[in-house]
Amino acid sequence: MGVGPSAKETSLHHFRDPLLDLFSSDEDIDLLGIILFGSSDKYSEKILTSTRAAIWAQGMRADGAVIFCEGSGNNHVDFANACEQLGRRGIAVAGLTVIGKNGQFVVTNDYMNDNIIDVCKSKGSVEPCIIGENNLSNDDCKKALAILKIKMNKAKEARNLS
Amino acid sequence: MGIGPSTKETSMHHFRDPLLDVVSADEDIDLLGIILVGSPDGNADKLLVGTRAAIWAQGMRADGAIISADGWGNSHVDYANTCEQLGKRGIPAAGLAFHGKNGKFVVTNAYLDAIVDICKNKDGIESNVLGENNMNVKDCRKALAMLKLKMRKSDAERGN
Amino acid sequence: MADIDLGRLVIRAFDIKSVSWGDEMKVTPQGEMIISKSMLPDLVSSMDTIEAVDIRLIQPDEHDQWTNTILDIIPISTKALGVVGEGITHTLTGVCAMITAVDTEGKQCHEFGSSEGNLKEKIIFDNPGTPHSTDVIISFDVTLKAGMGQERKGPYQAHLLCDRFLQVYREQMKNFDGKLCSARNEFHNISRPGKKRVVIIREVAGQGAMYDMQLFPHEPSGVEGGRSIIDMGNMPILVTPNEYRDGILHSMQ
Repeated sequence: MGVGPSAKETSLHHFRDPLLDLFSSDEDIDLLGIILFGSSDKYSEKILTSTRAAIWAQGMRADGAVIFCEGSGNNHVDFANACEQLGRRGIAVAGLTVIGKNGQFVVTNDYMNDNIIDVCKSKGSVEPCIIGENNLSNDDCKKALAILKIKMNKAKEARNLS
Repeated sequence: MGIGPSTKETSMHHFRDPLLDVVSADEDIDLLGIILVGSPDGNADKLLVGTRAAIWAQGMRADGAIISADGWGNSHVDYANTCEQLGKRGIPAAGLAFHGKNGKFVVTNAYLDAIVDICKNKDGIESNVLGENNMNVKDCRKALAMLKLKMRKSDAERGN
Repeated sequence: MADIDLGRLVIRAFDIKSVSWGDEMKVTPQGEMIISKSMLPDLVSSMDTIEAVDIRLIQPDEHDQWTNTILDIIPISTKALGVVGEGITHTLTGVCAMITAVDTEGKQCHEFGSSEGNLKEKIIFDNPGTPHSTDVIISFDVTLKAGMGQERKGPYQAHLLCDRFLQVYREQMKNFDGKLCSARNEFHNISRPGKKRVVIIREVAGQGAMYDMQLFPHEPSGVEGGRSIIDMGNMPILVTPNEYRDGILHSMQ
């Protein structure tokens, strides 16, 4: 559970964040901002904070959201709920997190199917404890953006039909 | 500083809030939501949280904002800053605040040109009577009308 | 572009016709409410800042009486279905709760100006934030331990005590037959694409003692389960129109 060395995002990682670089430079996208929310210790707070994030995205009238979860295990409880709360509000979702062999989802739902990208790079089944090994790469981010664009188009078509 | 009985907004007030009623019912408006922001004690915190609210509003791509102050005196420091931070980001803002005679702005700036004074007391004072100086439907309609005017002006300036 | 409905909230109001003293705590959808003080001793002993509590039932023709400074006027609502901001809420009309507080030294619990005095002169009735002149007011008159009216914990516990008392009625209200309601209101969070995008910003109390705001309680206009905006660093929080009008915030001012 939690964040191991290989998935840890350093301050330097945030300073050079590949996800932000990609999404802010894509001319088809109006990037509204980055919502930060903490992954709490307590279950009830996990649900509260991840639901508030989705409610705020809806208030922003976001067409889509890319959601990244640092770490795995209990952090995926918040992650899964955020995906569900966004999805239920009709907001297209693409997700990025560490899954690998030891980070299989502890919970899942209808809004986490073909839209979640595993950023795990290590081959073994254990946390390798090497700084940076399982961090987000440019390719991961490009995949997420592509998935999100497809999802947003589908959502738009569905809205136009209804 | 702070809040007295006549400007206090009870839980009942929030349950029946006239500002929300007026804005949400207007068909020319897409109400994105209500941002609640605390009015802290320290000056640095006041500037921080008000600025964060304006940044959120910008992230929401808001065309306009209506801002209500809680109480007066030092609360107006946050209020004036939030109006300024919105204005600097090109978001027209109208507001509701208690002024009367007691509650003149302790600070001021160029973005406080559309504020409705919600004072009802005849002598313009904090009367210690619960509910007396609360906003009513008329105040809220006035603030919304002022906001619409400011949004129209800002459109004209942008050439829309 | 067509409007988009982002969510629905139904508020069913049950009009209370009589509020009286009795041996049990009971409320019926037909409009009868019975108040008992039996649980007060246990509530008081569970709060370390509270010395005593008295409840008064103030009928509409009894406004000519003394009151300590008023902390809050509270609608009595509960979720019958869903969470605050969506689903179905049951609320009572014709009655509301009021909290007043003073400490054992006689110091009123207030920050800037206090409203103790003759009730009829100290409330402008029929405003959004005040009782209707025809409402029965259930007044919780809290006596705090010395000096506790100026500490955060004192007024917080006064609100919490009232909330726990009201919860007994809320549990009964959850099971009210919806068909018996006296009024039904339906609210929608509407997105109007292409229209002017407006946000309401509400600066709320965040400086401590009774100058606080409780957010995200379990029950509409409740306390339990919520958290203080001070503890969240007074940072901006977005709530939806339906969350707001359902009572996702509780004034601790």
